[in-house]
Amino acid sequence: MTGEDGEGAAAPVAAADAAVPVAAAASASRRAQLMLTALRRSRRFGGPLAAVVVGAVLIAALQGSGFTSTLILDMLVYAIAAMSLDFLGGYAGLISLGMAGFLGVGAYGVAIAEVHAFSPWAAVGIGLGTVLALGLVLGIVAVRVKGISFVIITLAIGQVLWGLAYQWVGLSEGDNGIPLSVLPSIGPVNLNDGLTLRMTVLAVFAVVALLLVTFVRSPFGLSLRGVRSNEARLAALGYRTGLHRYLAWVIAVFFTGVAGVLYVFVNQLISPTTMDFSANGFFVLMVVLGGLGSIWGPALGAVVIVLFQQELSIYVSRWESLMGLTLIAVVLFSPGGFWGLVRAVGRRRDALITRLEGGSQDGAQEAGRPRTASPPPVVTP
Amino acid sequence: MPQFLAQTLNGLTLAGIIFLVSSGFTLVFGVMRVTNLSHGAVYLLGGYIGYSVIGVTHNFFYGLAAAAVAMATFGLLLERTLITWLGRSEMSELLATLGLIYVIDDVTLAIWGGSPLTINLPGVLGKSSTLPLDGVVYPNGRIFILGVSIVVALGLYYLLRRTRVGAIIRAGVDDREMVNALGINVRLVFSLVFMLGALLAGFAGVLGGTVLGLYTGADSDILLFALAVVIVGGLGSYEGAILGSIVIGLVDTYGTAYFPAVAYSILFLPVIAVLLVKPQGLLGRPNT
Repeated sequence: MTGEDGEGAAAPVAAADAAVPVAAAASASRRAQLMLTALRRSRRFGGPLAAVVVGAVLIAALQGSGFTSTLILDMLVYAIAAMSLDFLGGYAGLISLGMAGFLGVGAYGVAIAEVHAFSPWAAVGIGLGTVLALGLVLGIVAVRVKGISFVIITLAIGQVLWGLAYQWVGLSEGDNGIPLSVLPSIGPVNLNDGLTLRMTVLAVFAVVALLLVTFVRSPFGLSLRGVRSNEARLAALGYRTGLHRYLAWVIAVFFTGVAGVLYVFVNQLISPTTMDFSANGFFVLMVVLGGLGSIWGPALGAVVIVLFQQELSIYVSRWESLMGLTLIAVVLFSPGGFWGLVRAVGRRRDALITRLEGGSQDGAQEAGRPRTASPPPVVTP
Repeated sequence: MPQFLAQTLNGLTLAGIIFLVSSGFTLVFGVMRVTNLSHGAVYLLGGYIGYSVIGVTHNFFYGLAAAAVAMATFGLLLERTLITWLGRSEMSELLATLGLIYVIDDVTLAIWGGSPLTINLPGVLGKSSTLPLDGVVYPNGRIFILGVSIVVALGLYYLLRRTRVGAIIRAGVDDREMVNALGINVRLVFSLVFMLGALLAGFAGVLGGTVLGLYTGADSDILLFALAVVIVGGLGSYEGAILGSIVIGLVDTYGTAYFPAVAYSILFLPVIAVLLVKPQGLLGRPNT
């Protein structure tokens, strides 16, 4: 992009110096015009295009049942949880260190219900219902505080949920966990079939992602950001800020529970390690690494962390240290995470568009006049 | 009845260890507004270092001293590097210290392995004696831990309430800008408080290693205790840490003894109760 930048913008300057015929300047301005159109289209269609490409690649990659598919499924499940946490942390300003607990509740809910001879669909209902009920009740306590206190309280909630899974052996089978053998099926959609399950996970991921993006862009999402940055002002304007935080919490908890149900479908086993302290830290790591407050960034973060866990752990024995250091490095040097880099590219594109708009108008009105309004372009060799 | 008495003493012993950890945590938060999530990891690291030093020197008290000194140094380094670099952003500090937990855990796992270790108390401390109350036979080591934590609690109370340094620290909790404006070297106070917190955690690690053991995950267990304490007592309040430690220590011990299936969750009851009635903690201030 910088190369084209230099080429497109340098031409009028050269024309001005040498006073070359109008034709050359016109061709340069046409080229600039083309690039401007391309850039503008990328601003409008870049996101959807990337989504279609990624979606197509995922559908293709999930056709097989090999290691890659398993890896991608893991990534998708954790991405749902990471995006939910980002909705809570990045938009409502409530960073929770207890979300793995709710993932566990969703998964355990399904598994325990099946153990007690409920049909698979009823089990899914019970799992999601439990998560929702728990979110509604605990939210009353949790969102009474914010900032550091909220982190501490959610950490305590997460540890308690883990403690129940670990200690309440009569219900949860303790350390061994509970296996899940039969998955739901309805009509042609039989989740016991590998391919159907994989496509379902992908579809649920897409639905949750789109829902979260819609929430974020809705008036509710905007006022949520307002609550985060200046609660007193929002409250003075008549917004019920506590209710905003509560709703954001319930939404995030519920979607994390959805991820939990998918988790137990994919892994066919749920055990306390899935919801321990270190798992909670991983969720926060995914969100911070991906970029707080971007929804898509944390999904990317989930991809990276799952890769770390599954792949890097084979080659590097001290991979947890590496992950801890990565988190520290991101916090220190790149607070925006990965998505911060994507946003930086977007900003450069917008800046380029503004500059080209100025340039092409000049070119059209008065070919060859040196531009003084914008800073002199840097010509890359 | 004798069993209940023994459980109460167990609860108070646990409260002593929890107090040593949570007082440092709450002081660091109170003065610096730094939430050091790696505080539990510092406790565990101190315990492991103490274990190794005791293994080499065959002297429990050298181990105790070594852990305290090593962790104080570690705390100073941490405060002068990472915490300083992050420059007062509460959430960044929390996240960076979360990252540090993974590093410390991984390093301790690499050095000391995954199997649980226990530190043995020397001589008479390793034995039991019959208490004058109800004829309960009780380990001397636990009485020792209880005594030590009471002495530390009184010492810290004296430091905070009766000395100039303590006055500065308390003033720092109340109004940091004003303390700075009075020409007091707040940087130095920060370093001292952070060192003190880490020192106490390392010290507690060795004591905790004798009754709770040293194992992977001991750090998050003790961190949860400390967090429950600061929620109950009030984040940043020293007296709150004493009160909270007693509540949490007793609740956890009774819970484990009488309701083992939900012991970990019973811990949460006082936390919820306090949050509903007084979200800032029993002895906390509304604006912290």
